[in-house]
Amino acid sequence: MDVKSAMTRARRGLREERRLYVVAVSSLAVAFLCLGATLLGVTNLDAAADRWGQSGRITLFLKDDADPQDVAQLRVVLEGLSDVREVAHVTPEQAKASFLEEADVGADLSALPKEVFPASLEVSLVNGVTRERSESIATRLGQFRAVSDVESYGSWFQKLDHLLWGARMLAAGLALLVMFCVIAVIGNTIRLAVARRRQEIQVMKLCGATNGFVRGPFVLEGMFQGFASALLAVLALLAGYLSLHESVDSTLAALTGSRVVFLGVWTWLLLLTGGALIGAIGSALSVRRYLSV
Amino acid sequence: MQGTKVVRPFPFFRAGARASQPQLAKPILVLEDVYKFFRPDEPTLRGVNLKVERGEFAFITGPSGAGKSTLLKLLYRELMVDEGRVLFCGRDIGRLTDKSIPFLRRNLGIVFQDFRIIDHWTVFENIAVALEILSMPQRLIRSRVAEALERVGLNGRGDEQTSNLSGGEKQRVAVARAIVPEPALILADEPTGNLDPHLAIDILTLFEEINSTGTTVLFATHDHSLISKRDHRLISIDEGRVVEARQGLKDWPGSGIHTLVG
Ligand SMILES: Nc1ncnc2c1ncn2[C@@H]1O[C@H](COP(=O)(O)OP(=O)(O)OP(=O)(O)O)[C@@H](O)[C@H]1O
Ligand SMILES: [Mg+2]
Repeated sequence: MDVKSAMTRARRGLREERRLYVVAVSSLAVAFLCLGATLLGVTNLDAAADRWGQSGRITLFLKDDADPQDVAQLRVVLEGLSDVREVAHVTPEQAKASFLEEADVGADLSALPKEVFPASLEVSLVNGVTRERSESIATRLGQFRAVSDVESYGSWFQKLDHLLWGARMLAAGLALLVMFCVIAVIGNTIRLAVARRRQEIQVMKLCGATNGFVRGPFVLEGMFQGFASALLAVLALLAGYLSLHESVDSTLAALTGSRVVFLGVWTWLLLLTGGALIGAIGSALSVRRYLSV
Repeated sequence: MQGTKVVRPFPFFRAGARASQPQLAKPILVLEDVYKFFRPDEPTLRGVNLKVERGEFAFITGPSGAGKSTLLKLLYRELMVDEGRVLFCGRDIGRLTDKSIPFLRRNLGIVFQDFRIIDHWTVFENIAVALEILSMPQRLIRSRVAEALERVGLNGRGDEQTSNLSGGEKQRVAVARAIVPEPALILADEPTGNLDPHLAIDILTLFEEINSTGTTVLFATHDHSLISKRDHRLISIDEGRVVEARQGLKDWPGSGIHTLVG
């Protein structure tokens, strides 16, 4: 097939059928936008999980009446462990101060008594410690006399994992749905375009055009529609991200300590190429059915 | 798109292939005992035998519904023969695969009564399409289209919108599209059917000029004023059979024009 001629004719087709194609592209862009938004959610959950998983942490809450000597001994033990990177002692005053600074909840919380915030040892683990390992360290540390409570964030991770799994499934389901949408919508649009160009198709065939020659432009037009819809969705998502992320960032930072991120390069590249590919498939299926020679 | 692994029975009908010497020596068209049935009991063509030599000009005539269009459709493989053979340059086109049909049609120029011109294309685009199919470079397409426009008397009017043309001009564009790839055989199915008598003669003359350069022309028409003006070979189809006259009406075997039109 002569690709250059097919592209010239596809350009002409896009110009002539632009009204038909604008409708198809805008409705598909909405579908892609839903998928893109879900993917954005997955990306952010992933980023948060990654951040938390990477910087393994254990918080040892100390008893109010803990013997300072016991605490000192505990610190020595902790600093001796190869998995531990750093140990910081947080006094109730510090805990309250940092809470008030981070949580921008609106209500005045400075009246809270400092007893609400127990003293703790913030244990930062070295990178690459598995969750099971940090879990077992936490259990052992819990047996120390000065420790009232241990938080290894295990259940939190489990919840996050569940959430992530759910979001991934949702994204996969949506991707499948969008794929069918694209194939159906573009297939139908191309079917209409084929019907409207029946006369010129007939002329080309009488002049000795091969199937490939006649079908080429239609496949390119479908490909373009898929690509344009995906591009439109990614651009809309980017615009939304750029205009909203600053206001969202500060609250999210307070709650989870992470910032909003945009879709990764590979994700949006995949959206664009996937859109083009599925568009091409949709129109190829359509011309195979409706453009018999 | 045309894979090289496709086995074609007739390599002659491949893109760019040239006819060999023995093929050129054969009659351009031979019909051997051709039958075409649309209804099982009543064939539209029954046992048609015909031989057309290279460079001939022949009228195909007969009453409406006689099967003129059907005969031409068999030649460009819009329809398949039910019995018998159609040989184009010695090749049985009834045995062509679907993939080879485009390459058969590249050897033919086809003109219709209803012009089949794309109205929203320019004159140039309408003619160039026949060459774009052959993947010809644009530069060559431009010069060949200009040449074809000159031959049909539309010199320099390539940029005009086709929808503005008169019927006669549209048919000239259609003729230009048919001749621009320099086909061996022109099939014209009532090309003057939509034109007034004066224009009809013009178009007929145009086909004769094309014929004078060596292109074989089959001209289907039921317009006897046209046929009677020329002494071309006359192939008449009546009730599915062919009756022939070598030298126009004056050579006609029947009892005058009435046996011809029924
Ligand atoms: N695709 C088809 N299906 C069924 N019958 C057909 C088909 N094509 C043609 N016929 C029949 O075959 C006969 C010959 O038709 P054809 O079009 O060849 O006639 P024609 O000689 O070209 O007539 P006209 O001068 O009116 O154009 C007619 O009776 C027509 O009804
Ligand atoms: Mg007819």
